[in-house]
Amino acid sequence: MRSLAVVSALLSGPIAAQTGVQYQVDSLPNGLRVILSEDHSTPVVSVDVWYHVGSRNEQAGRSGFAHLFEHMMFQGSRHVGKGQHFQLVERAGGDLNGTTNEDHTAYYQELPANRLNLGLWLEADRLRSLAITVENFENQRQAVKEERRLRVDNQPYAPALTEGITLLYDSTTCFGYAHSVIGSMADLDSAKVSDVQAFFDLYYAPNNATLAVVGDFDPAEAKQLIRQYFGDLPRGREPAPVSCGYDFAVGARRRVWEDEHANLPAVIIAYRTPAHEDPDTPALALLGTILGGGESSRLNRGLVRQARTALAAGSQSASRLGPGFFAVFAVANQGTGPDTLERQLSAEVKGIIEEGVSAEELSKARNDFRAANIFGRQTTMQVAERLQHYAHLHDSLEDMRTDLDRYLAVTAEGIRRVAGKYLVPDNSFTIVVVPKEGR
Amino acid sequence: MNCLLPSLAALVVLCAAPAGAQYPTSPPPPGPLRPLQFPPFREARFANGLEMVLVENHELPIVSVALAMPAGARHEPAGREGLAGLVAELLTKGTRTRTADQIAAEIEGVGGSLSAGAGDDFFSLSVTVLTDHLDLGLGLMSDVLLNATFPEDEVELARKRVLSTLQLEKSDPNALAGKFFAQALYGDHPYGRSASDSSIRALTRAEIQQFAATWLKPRGALLVIAGDLSLSDARRHIERYLGGWTGASPVAGAVASPPAAGATRILLVHRPGSAQSNIVVGNLALAAGDPLHYPATVGNKILGGGADSRLFAILREQKSWTYGASSGLSRRRDTGHFSAGTEVRTAVTDSALTELLVQLRRMRTEPVADSELVAAKGYLVGSFPLSIETPQQVAGQVSTVKLLGLPDDYLRTYRNRLAAVTAADVMAAARRVIRPDSAVIVLVGDGLGVYDKLTQIAPVRMVDTDGKPLAPEDLAPKATGPVAFDRAQLVSRRDSFQVSVQGNVFGHMTADLAVSADSAVYTEETVIAAAGFRQRTVVRLDPGTFATRTVDQTGSGAGQALEIHLVYRNGRVNGRAQTPVPGAAGPKVTDVDTALAQGTIDINAFQPLVAALPLAEGASIAVAAFEASENVTRTLTAKVSAPQDVTVPAGTFSAFRVETAGGAQPFVFYVGRDTPRRLLKIEIVGQPLAFELVK
Repeated sequence: MRSLAVVSALLSGPIAAQTGVQYQVDSLPNGLRVILSEDHSTPVVSVDVWYHVGSRNEQAGRSGFAHLFEHMMFQGSRHVGKGQHFQLVERAGGDLNGTTNEDHTAYYQELPANRLNLGLWLEADRLRSLAITVENFENQRQAVKEERRLRVDNQPYAPALTEGITLLYDSTTCFGYAHSVIGSMADLDSAKVSDVQAFFDLYYAPNNATLAVVGDFDPAEAKQLIRQYFGDLPRGREPAPVSCGYDFAVGARRRVWEDEHANLPAVIIAYRTPAHEDPDTPALALLGTILGGGESSRLNRGLVRQARTALAAGSQSASRLGPGFFAVFAVANQGTGPDTLERQLSAEVKGIIEEGVSAEELSKARNDFRAANIFGRQTTMQVAERLQHYAHLHDSLEDMRTDLDRYLAVTAEGIRRVAGKYLVPDNSFTIVVVPKEGR
Repeated sequence: MNCLLPSLAALVVLCAAPAGAQYPTSPPPPGPLRPLQFPPFREARFANGLEMVLVENHELPIVSVALAMPAGARHEPAGREGLAGLVAELLTKGTRTRTADQIAAEIEGVGGSLSAGAGDDFFSLSVTVLTDHLDLGLGLMSDVLLNATFPEDEVELARKRVLSTLQLEKSDPNALAGKFFAQALYGDHPYGRSASDSSIRALTRAEIQQFAATWLKPRGALLVIAGDLSLSDARRHIERYLGGWTGASPVAGAVASPPAAGATRILLVHRPGSAQSNIVVGNLALAAGDPLHYPATVGNKILGGGADSRLFAILREQKSWTYGASSGLSRRRDTGHFSAGTEVRTAVTDSALTELLVQLRRMRTEPVADSELVAAKGYLVGSFPLSIETPQQVAGQVSTVKLLGLPDDYLRTYRNRLAAVTAADVMAAARRVIRPDSAVIVLVGDGLGVYDKLTQIAPVRMVDTDGKPLAPEDLAPKATGPVAFDRAQLVSRRDSFQVSVQGNVFGHMTADLAVSADSAVYTEETVIAAAGFRQRTVVRLDPGTFATRTVDQTGSGAGQALEIHLVYRNGRVNGRAQTPVPGAAGPKVTDVDTALAQGTIDINAFQPLVAALPLAEGASIAVAAFEASENVTRTLTAKVSAPQDVTVPAGTFSAFRVETAGGAQPFVFYVGRDTPRRLLKIEIVGQPLAFELVK
């Protein structure tokens, strides 16, 4: 068997590079979706579970719950004591973490290949019997509040950016995308254990989850373990769909934040963009590379190198289940005010709308996506996250085979068109951060 | 199956299925693991002295090339800190045949990356491309290395950006902590120095050219290639692109020694308005090749190496003080260092630092438990497969070993040497490596909230973010006289609050304010039956200025009687305070006769008056408040954050969140925004206790 494995490992490389990621799917009667992808090149395996719940599912007054809940998932379950989850994975030579965003909550661990059973069992135990206690809850509420202080309240620019991006959408018609993932201090303070329990009951069910296993494992053994550990969990009820009403061109809005921690002004102009499934998504992605990707980008060349008004300038975007955003930003050099940055950022955007992009820029953006497609397959964890992306944001996993072609098929005219459609003042929210008076 | 779920509905949903007899009730045991060796790599040497390591791997069509030369901060003349960094920034900004824009367009045009950087000891130049573009990538790498011109206008652009970056970093708590810590630990040694306004302004183009011409040489340099390339092809390419690179750099001169360790002291970097304190504690430790590194590594994992470590478990999972706490060993060729750190909310700064020091001392005095030893090795040895997943990871490990001057068999013997470490070894290493009693402690935070308490732990030296000395007096908010209370917010009303813990009501409080043209009386009654606590407070205020006139408080707690009677007149307070002391034989009695600064209120007057403070988003208001039971005047600082919606039994309201510190306990008051403002909710920070408006 070993020599066969060696031969297959030697061959799988170049073939895999040409044919893309190989995988097989499975599902349990209780609705758990399973994706298995073998890679025998190194004896490691990644176990990555995505729950179909994020901050988009939160209600007003209860922001930050999905992320707070992510913390609770590490606090122990029926057969795992508090702190033991970290201990068991690390002691087995593994790394682990979790992340929450608007659309999903992910839990992952990478382990030596002979510990696949441990990774699967830990995910199963916390799904079937998470220990939600007042003590654990109080403790993690405080940890999340400290996380908010660390990432937002005690950092320059972060409060404006965190809040500003959420103001793109109307909280009365689209609360899901009109508040931050980390949540407000007030809502974190008023959360109760019973709320957390209700959240778990509704969203943490096998029919609301996808389990991806990538690496050096035997699929038959993996399927057997998954059935053994997850099979008897009952299906939960289907959570209500999230509704999000929004319009694009509602009129330009602007807000100035005085930031006691910012030493230099900064400007972010954010624009509303459609959901990931929209046909305009690939063109918007290539526009992002051209406007803000690297030293050859429009924003870097225009503001940092030529005008010399910005210390740094670029773009950032999020493409989500619900509506997303596309933002251009710049941080000022000493001696430059925010109005100048705002003017120059708008001018760069307008330049693309009026004159389009060059053949070289288009070629760069396409090659960037081509290369990223390959760079993104180096580790089992990267592959797991890619499979999960397609499982959650696309109708079919098979889109993974053809998606790159969709991006490579975008034309210069297509990029110009989406710039003119979305990156317009009526569709913008401008965030201006200025150092607080008297600093 | 037993279900730990309180709700009946959940009980039905999740317990309906019969428990599988096969479901393991304890972690399943490991499967068999085949022995794994460190992956093979090839080495070669070129005529110009360049050494090459190749980690060949054809799984993906990627080639990563990383060149390291001994040229870093260590090689900068004093007064020219930041020179190596500027050389790195400018190396890719123009050659004899290409402009900066052309270089960027070329490499990014194929989806590759080209970058240069300078650290303390080494200068790096890296390029990563898909195999198809290897010639382009190596061609650019060779061009910038051999033919960089450092154009004058690029130098000025880079200088401008670095100066702006320095200013930006002065507000970044993590950057400040790192900079001041390195300075305190290493002093005049190059590792302790960092770029400053003056050093960046002093640098000239000639010095930049000179640095590159002197130090970026092949003899002594290490080239590491990982990915889709065979040895023969690698040799051929390097001969072609770097064969013309010649020379050797001079031996680096001697450098100043780091300062000798003294008794532990704290450097407090005052960053006004900090929501957290960034704490770093550390000391100089081992040279890279010291065999104590193995037990030190095991000990460090136990102390603060990740989520399964003492610092994380205690400071975060037990005490709830932080999002994360960790420790680490920094490895340098000659002298490395140990450090431990965390970021905690301002109010618990002193407690967290004290606990951190306790844990550091414990490593020196108590052998670690067997279970901890097994767990640490489980990770350090067991994670080996994860550390060699990509050829770049493998290359990185080989590179580290060579650049640190470690023996050739280091990688091969690493796991065995770790596995052999005992608890006694860990303790012996801790005694060398972890020295809390002669440590450098750097703390970046709001001095106003922490200075006094820190002086109880160790001598404190305070500076501002520029490093200029600050005295405690410099911290006090500029007093502009007594706070002007907004009369419009104070109307007669009677409010009832419930006292709850986690949604369970344990008591009640009524707050009655009676205001007329010639009197203002605040009466507050609180009963928490389960805690045996009763209190009735009557505060008479001046109807014009709302200054405190008298305070009368009675009640009982912890089985002892409470009684306070005070009169405020002519800038003095007189009276007596008898306050319960839990666990003591009887209450404490304090006779009061003290002069007060103008505008000082009684601490019991703060609650009725908080709604009348000049509340506005971002405001920070200082109020002097006398606390009779301690016979001290406290400076309460109320910080107002952005309005938020708050839900209490009386309804949902838009409210200011007012964090108040400086008293015996930090509080959060939620005050409704509509005039007349109502107090909606009071929380005690760090406790699950809350007072919520009912009606």
